[in-house]
Amino acid sequence: MGQKKGRIGFTCAYTPLAIIDAAGFTPFRLLPVGNWPDQAGRVLHDNMCPHVKRVLDCAMSDDLPPDLAGMVFVNSCDAMRRMADAWRKLRPDDKVALIDLPTTAEPGSVTYFSGQLRMLSDRLSEWGGNPVTADAIETGIETFNTVSTLLREIELLARGKRLSGGRSRMQTLYNRASTEDADTMIGDLRQIIGEAPPQNQSSAVPVFLFGNMFPDPTAYALFESSGAHVAGDDFCTGSRLFAPMENHISGDVFDRLAQQLFAHPPCARTVFPSQPANVANDILQRTRASGAAGAIGHIMKFCDPYLTRMPLVRNAFKEAGLPLLILEGDCTLGSIGQQRTRIEAFIEMLR
Amino acid sequence: MMKKYFDDLVGGIDTALNKDPANSSPRKLYAREVARLGSRLYSGTEKVAWCGVVAPFDVLNAMGVTSCYTEFIGAMLASTGMVGSFLEKAEHEGYAGDTCGYHRAVIGAMLNGWMPEPDFLIATSAPCSGGLAVMETIADHFKKDLFVLHVPQDESESSVRYLADQIRDMTGFISDHTGVPLDRDVLKDAIEKTNEARRLMEEVYQLARAIPSPVDGRMLGNFGIVMALLLGTPECVEVIRAFRDTFAGRVENRTSGIGKEKLRLMWIQNRIQFRHPLIDLLEKEYGAVVVADELNAITWEPIDPEDPFEGLARRSISIPFNGTIDRRIAHLKKQAQEYKLDGAINPCHWGCRQGTGARGLITEGLKEIGIPVLNLEVDCVDSRNFSEGQLKTRIEAFTEMLWERKKAG
Repeated sequence: MGQKKGRIGFTCAYTPLAIIDAAGFTPFRLLPVGNWPDQAGRVLHDNMCPHVKRVLDCAMSDDLPPDLAGMVFVNSCDAMRRMADAWRKLRPDDKVALIDLPTTAEPGSVTYFSGQLRMLSDRLSEWGGNPVTADAIETGIETFNTVSTLLREIELLARGKRLSGGRSRMQTLYNRASTEDADTMIGDLRQIIGEAPPQNQSSAVPVFLFGNMFPDPTAYALFESSGAHVAGDDFCTGSRLFAPMENHISGDVFDRLAQQLFAHPPCARTVFPSQPANVANDILQRTRASGAAGAIGHIMKFCDPYLTRMPLVRNAFKEAGLPLLILEGDCTLGSIGQQRTRIEAFIEMLR
Repeated sequence: MMKKYFDDLVGGIDTALNKDPANSSPRKLYAREVARLGSRLYSGTEKVAWCGVVAPFDVLNAMGVTSCYTEFIGAMLASTGMVGSFLEKAEHEGYAGDTCGYHRAVIGAMLNGWMPEPDFLIATSAPCSGGLAVMETIADHFKKDLFVLHVPQDESESSVRYLADQIRDMTGFISDHTGVPLDRDVLKDAIEKTNEARRLMEEVYQLARAIPSPVDGRMLGNFGIVMALLLGTPECVEVIRAFRDTFAGRVENRTSGIGKEKLRLMWIQNRIQFRHPLIDLLEKEYGAVVVADELNAITWEPIDPEDPFEGLARRSISIPFNGTIDRRIAHLKKQAQEYKLDGAINPCHWGCRQGTGARGLITEGLKEIGIPVLNLEVDCVDSRNFSEGQLKTRIEAFTEMLWERKKAG
């Protein structure tokens, strides 16, 4: 792998990392974890997704990598679109691309999304000064397949209580994998797989965690110290970003990437018209499959795609007789810390 | 109950119009058509589709489907003063209080059995993610089939083709649910009526730009967005023509809609749907009239009746709420200049991420052309949190500031 040309920032799990890699850049997820002054509300509105506001706070504080060569935004929901708008106003000299993510995964939508990926590839070619070739994208797919497969393996270790540091450490790895050079990451992940498992097996209660995003490793530590064992989870800052792509399928690389990004575990913003409320059944099934005794949903405040669907999730769990706790947060550890008593009571109830 | 309410409303307006035909205000004709639509939605005999805001209602009308966006229910419940209990119902069932009031009201109406059961649903990704989530919830509640139109963010050829193909597929979906295939001649006729409505609407807006403006702050409230529901029908053309004729007469006589017009304002996004005193306050105390509404604008070209799908796609893509904020700000600036505005009021509808979420950017954008914006922070549907005193004070300060600026030239 040659010298990278810098980093390309991104904020959504539907971002095609392989294309960024193929263009010679390192994908760099701007995570809403940090201590920046709260300023973005005046640019947009305070009643806005905390993820979006925190990322903008980070940009307004100029706390960005010095080699940030551009930003790739995905029009996945209203708030993400507004983040791209605000970024352009706040940092008019930055290179910014916004790709349109269809609402459904219908065949026509996948074709359209493939066209959007092709446009992104052209844009990244301009930014990088060299054309992005199909071969380079194939290599990028292989690279991120390797990262995803290794992360999946480590995730299984964490779920089986065989990863020292538990889910908190797993999140650190997810965060590193979404911000650091993939080749370096692959070496580190292989090393971790070879580690000896922890000696003491805890008697923590297995729970399934889900929601939009949950990037702070310390927050997982809080769950674990409250007596929970994360038996499975579904967040865009975790397994949803790193799903291996099937590479035995032939055809146009952009078509395949588009298909694959829609085949990842979906964010609530994606609608399956033939199965309305799919998100509720999906979370329920995944909770059951994980062997969890109950589920905890951590939803970002002001997130319409999730907040509107939470009553459906609640009903699905009620009908299934599975305990569910829903928490609202704002990307700060303080907001989850305040919920500690509720989390502990929920875990006690599950014992 | 709702059917009777709408039928009584239609009856009342008919009686008033028959009694004094010479005094038939266009707003009465408009209200009668809205009430007729409400009556049909609640009739229990018509094919009904709940839709997203930018669905092609002329196509649905041409296919014999009574269709409406769900936000209509929220606005209607707010205007009748009944919305509180429906909002509470939704909130009690777990729908977050900081989401859009229109959508909470719709969910409350659905849970309380006040929402007509649709035959199917057609959701649109524009204008908002929240609306789409509500459509999914309604489809699940009624166990009805859902069709989703993804409205792309730009008007590139590939985006237009993509949406046009979806609209074509939508006609197949509708036929599957009505048992009636699309009649191209009927659709052609509907599109011709849409084009006629478009031409007349352009005239209405052109007349509204006159100084003094023939409008008062209520006449064109909700006009553009509600007339979209009637596109493709003769009633739509009739109502818009009545507005055009009334305004043409006033402009010819240089008659202001409010008496002495001192300040000209634009209302950004949507109106406050429940009874409130702010428009009266603006007009009576300050001679300030809302002459322009953001959505009272023609943003699309006439549609080819012989091959309408690409034109329909362009129309849906063109609404100011769709796409990047630059498009929307350009639209607002254009309106501000065309209407020779002194200022703008943004209610900042609580819970609206796509609209209110751009509050700061819109304010800055209009500032670039010297248009001050008053950001109110109101839930346009939920009257429970309406702080009348505070809002009056802010409006007073704003209009005084505008007046001083105007006097200073």
